[in-house]
Amino acid sequence: VSQSPVEPTAVRRVGQRVVVHAAPKAPAPLPGRDRHLVRRFSWGITPELVADVRRAGGGRKWFEKQLDPGRVSDPAGSAINGWFPSITQPASKIFTNQRDDVQGAWEVATDLSRWTVARRVHSKRQVHEVMTDFWSNLLNVSLYHDEAMFWRMDYDRLIRRHALSSFELLLRSAITHPAMGLYLDNAFSTKDAPNENLGRELLELHTVGVDGGYTEADVKASARMLTGYRVDTWWPEFKAYYSPQDHDTRPVKVMGFRHANGAADGRAATAAYLTYLARHPSTANRIARRLCVKFVGDSPSPAIVRAVARAYTANRTAIKPTLRALVSHPDFAEAPLKKVRTPMEDYVATVRSLGIRMHRPSNDDAFVRAFYWQYSANGNAPYEWPAPNGYPEAGAAWASAGRVLTGLRHHQDLAARWWPTAQASFPTEASLLPPMPCTLQQLVDHLGLRMLGQKPGAQVSIGVAQVLGMKRSRRLTRDEVLGDYWLLRRIQASLLDSPHHLHR
Amino acid sequence: MTTPGTTPPGPACGCPDFRMSRRRMLGASVAGGGLLAAGQMFGDAFRQVAYGAAPGGNVVVVLSLRGGSDGLSIVVPRGDDHDRLASYRSNIVVPEGTLLGSDPRFGLHPALAPLLPMWNGGRMGAVHAVGLHAPNRSHFDAMEEVEDADPGSSARVGWINRVIGLDGIKGGPETGVSLGGTLLPTSLVGQAPALGAHQVRDFGVADLGASGALRRASLNTMWARTGGPLGGGVRVALASAQKFAPLVDDHEERVHTAAYPEGPLRDVLANTAALVRQDLGTSMIAIDYGDWDMHEGLGRLGEWDWMNRHLTHFAQALKVFFADLGTHASRVTVVTISEFGRRVEENGSGGVDHGYGNAMLLLGAGVAGGAVRGEWPGLRREDLEDGDLAMRHDFREVLWEVVANRFPTVSGRRTSVFPGLAASPAIGIMA
Repeated sequence: VSQSPVEPTAVRRVGQRVVVHAAPKAPAPLPGRDRHLVRRFSWGITPELVADVRRAGGGRKWFEKQLDPGRVSDPAGSAINGWFPSITQPASKIFTNQRDDVQGAWEVATDLSRWTVARRVHSKRQVHEVMTDFWSNLLNVSLYHDEAMFWRMDYDRLIRRHALSSFELLLRSAITHPAMGLYLDNAFSTKDAPNENLGRELLELHTVGVDGGYTEADVKASARMLTGYRVDTWWPEFKAYYSPQDHDTRPVKVMGFRHANGAADGRAATAAYLTYLARHPSTANRIARRLCVKFVGDSPSPAIVRAVARAYTANRTAIKPTLRALVSHPDFAEAPLKKVRTPMEDYVATVRSLGIRMHRPSNDDAFVRAFYWQYSANGNAPYEWPAPNGYPEAGAAWASAGRVLTGLRHHQDLAARWWPTAQASFPTEASLLPPMPCTLQQLVDHLGLRMLGQKPGAQVSIGVAQVLGMKRSRRLTRDEVLGDYWLLRRIQASLLDSPHHLHR
Repeated sequence: MTTPGTTPPGPACGCPDFRMSRRRMLGASVAGGGLLAAGQMFGDAFRQVAYGAAPGGNVVVVLSLRGGSDGLSIVVPRGDDHDRLASYRSNIVVPEGTLLGSDPRFGLHPALAPLLPMWNGGRMGAVHAVGLHAPNRSHFDAMEEVEDADPGSSARVGWINRVIGLDGIKGGPETGVSLGGTLLPTSLVGQAPALGAHQVRDFGVADLGASGALRRASLNTMWARTGGPLGGGVRVALASAQKFAPLVDDHEERVHTAAYPEGPLRDVLANTAALVRQDLGTSMIAIDYGDWDMHEGLGRLGEWDWMNRHLTHFAQALKVFFADLGTHASRVTVVTISEFGRRVEENGSGGVDHGYGNAMLLLGAGVAGGAVRGEWPGLRREDLEDGDLAMRHDFREVLWEVVANRFPTVSGRRTSVFPGLAASPAIGIMA
């Protein structure tokens, strides 16, 4: 019997029509090991992803292919690249548009956020999207920073270009990029008036770490080394340039790095300095540990951190062999579903689990535009952490009551197909069902396979049955399920609320 | 809260429309409600306890005037310094004859008239020439500094979070609440649990069309065997939601939105008053009230002039707020804060650029009002600091005076809340 929808305050646009498509067939579950690898290195398991892994010949083969994203066919991702033309504009254009009241830079930055999340949802290059997130967070330049914002889109291209190359390339380009210079004040640092902000964070956050063994004198020298990378915005004109007369040419000594630094153009010396830092054992250890916290567990064993650091050092900071060492280590396979999904990982995986397909936007109601106002409420929108240290990677940071309640609300909004829904399509309810009639348990298992990549087990199933007020053995007909406003919605939202979805 | 579609791009002023930066981007109203914030970002979820601080306690509401409010248009010097101000900003200075209040040295902007009874009654006061320990004219960085309020530390724990983490106040996530925005402001981020929401009705569990009790039971079952930080977080969330349930369920009766004037403070103050009256043990409430970045067209006293319009709304809304609190008003103190003041001299666009010293307003319980307290550096050329009103009081001194006054059990813990803040003579803004 169809229940009447709840009172109007809680329900938005009940009964509105949505565009639909037939869901792909529910696949057989992947072997546990592959499922674990894919969960950790994608934005959420889907029937399509399971099929891709099978097609590749297993988890590790899929992973290997993913490490070369240019060779992963990605028509969906390419289509999305055409949806947000504003983000492809050069920084100077974004600036003049802001200055001339044509388009606010914040609008462009918000489009970058939308484009990023859309790619996380739909791109086949999942490992590339995951690693772009990882490095963007390590080398955080907050999206809406007053001035760095003009350059933030260009900075994103840089991170993406090097997300799977080597850390030294990534570091050299990121630290000398105008966005970083503006964000951490190096853009105004000169030999006469050095600003130590970037010089310090480079050591503390980006490379060797606060216990990496540097002194205050090293911080000062680090700042002097970085002088010369100037960026002007509003005055006298918008440009980024190397300014030899602002570069401090005294010899530089930072930890074990020595450089005569005699040239007015300090760029070669700076590159040598950044390469030194990238290859420093403390950096190797720190990057390895952060990778392990992200992909292995909140308290990774010293053994796996050592193994990953060794691969990093042996391969001169190359990222692919470093990641291979991580997934090959026995510790990686342990403790599946023990990492807390961040709110953003939850959000993206929710859209993927529900099989929602976003379409090219024609106005602000479009899913791929409106969803910003949904996901940004979770406190974890791309690149919005307001400080240079990036969002926390450990689970305890994301376990608050507020986070939980927000997540549950978003699950409801999306599973119930309330908001956003425009310019997107949803699976027909009929295509989500197993052969009918079936028991409630069979229905829950079938939806679990689709949405979580596995059957959800007894504890979750009992909880789902509880909110439905049914026994798990209850026999359900197709008409009964499709005629009830809430039945499928409650099961889907509950599965998204379950520990299986909120962990990876 | 502005929405993305209705806010024009920022003025061509050297600072992209800051209203849209960070929390300003969170156009919660677009979503039709239902947005609840991140909550605590650090720390141990297992330490969360689902009980607020004791009921009947005092409440401090921190109202952040985002964008850098022009204190010299809000609390305006009289006499010689008014003449000087008029020479620096002839197009926008508030005329001396229109100023309110009986402080011989300063008068309030005439738009604050609805609050004049509170001022004259000594329940509203101000401190001028307040600022960061050193000038910082970047919205972004200055906001972080004001809210972190722990210069030189990289701990990233906000000052309000440090207050609600102290013994004597410590409670559950409802002890520190952010309303009107959906992402916790930096001031609330830290080990102590805190809640953030657009409005109080968002402090509930999405019910999937079922009863709240059934839904909570179902979630408890699903998570019964899951430990780890999130297992604890889910159980705390469910307990908190249960506590908020009466307020959430009856929010339409309990939130008196219609009594408030239309404008950005309407919903948030109506919700704040309802939360305080519910008396769940909330001690600190943070509210963002943006759009003070008046680089151009600050205006004079016309109905649609930017500053005048904002202060009119501010004053009318706060007047209703204190009335709406009823007997609970005796527990509530409101303090305004902004990341920096504005330049003394107007720019070529009839506005004022980013400056330094600013005024803070204090209203309600415990305030020794009716006058501007503290030191005043003056507005002679040589009194200015790089063209800005100089700083005479670190903003933390004012906040500490409020906190120590309203929460006597923590009054010995100054450096726990504001590490490194030296003891200073009382400003005397609290009775």
